[in-house]
Amino acid sequence: MNQQELDGILQKAAELKVFCEYGQRTVPVLDEISSFVKEISPAIEDLRAVVEVSMVNIPKAADQLGRVTQATEQASTDILNTLDRMVATLDEIIGSVASGMISSDLGAATKKMAAIVKTLVDKSGWDEDIVKLAEAWDIHLQSLRMSGPTSNLERLLKDLQSDCTEIMMALQVQDITQQHIGAVMGTIEAVAEGLRKLTTGFFSTGMAENLPPLPSMSIRFEQENVGEAERKKMVESLLSKARAGQL
Amino acid sequence: MTSMKILIVDDSITIQRIITNALKTVGFPDTIVAANGKDALEKLTNVNVDFIITDWNMPEMNGLDFIKQVRANPIYSSLPILMITTRGTEHDVIEALQAKVNSYIVKPFTPQELKEKIEGILKTVQVNTV
Repeated sequence: MNQQELDGILQKAAELKVFCEYGQRTVPVLDEISSFVKEISPAIEDLRAVVEVSMVNIPKAADQLGRVTQATEQASTDILNTLDRMVATLDEIIGSVASGMISSDLGAATKKMAAIVKTLVDKSGWDEDIVKLAEAWDIHLQSLRMSGPTSNLERLLKDLQSDCTEIMMALQVQDITQQHIGAVMGTIEAVAEGLRKLTTGFFSTGMAENLPPLPSMSIRFEQENVGEAERKKMVESLLSKARAGQL
Repeated sequence: MTSMKILIVDDSITIQRIITNALKTVGFPDTIVAANGKDALEKLTNVNVDFIITDWNMPEMNGLDFIKQVRANPIYSSLPILMITTRGTEHDVIEALQAKVNSYIVKPFTPQELKEKIEGILKTVQVNTV
């Protein structure tokens, strides 16, 4: 055995020493990783179940909120249409009542006429035709009285119009709730997107399927002292992951 | 009643109708509507508008961007603008004011409040132009 061969053996021994030291350092780390994976596995399984349910329920919830918005918008439109018709009708009635006010003024003149007719009756010595004329005036006066206090009616109608405006203004609640629902839907959709990415990027990469066996793999490594080739493979795999920043 | 033409910018048809009716009851019957900022900019090129009432949250172009566009255009830059929105934080209001909105109402509002805001803006604009 020459010096070169001895140097070669020493070199190999040094490498072996480094490997053993490396092993001594990495085994506790692998223990830690193993314990950690063991602990989080049930949580990941729970999370996977939650994600699966959420991926179905969240779009459904967003859809339901969308329907609520549509329904309230339709209802608001219907109410606004009805209110528009009511306001138009009230405008028309108020116009008619205003004309009624003129009739009322005419009524005062008619009363004056009735007084003249009464005088005529007295002066005519109760002439039959004049008496009939007086009776006709009486009936006419009564019908005018029946037309009622038109000024009060006009006020009431204007109050109704004002109430219609108030109802209309109250419908702003539809837009306000719609915008708040929109904001909630935005948040829900952002959560759904996050979960979707989690599902496609994490659970469906095969890692999820491998998660439950992972702890047992590590435990097996620790307890069974697997063969050199397998260990080397495992070490290389971990080193690669470390280099890729995946540890 | 005034002949002032008011442009209402809101994506909600309900709110468009509510503002239109409220303006009518307080003496501003001459209105036109636009569904968003982009639509409103098109309307501005075709119709002579004296006053703008705009929402903030709208698709395609929101109210704040619309205001910035209006203020950046020398033809419309001096148009009075009132913002009516559900956004009510201090930060929102400051942001709208920085975009040079003349006044700001947080929904819900009353016709009377609307009237007072419009008249207040018109007074300020008149004072500034005198």
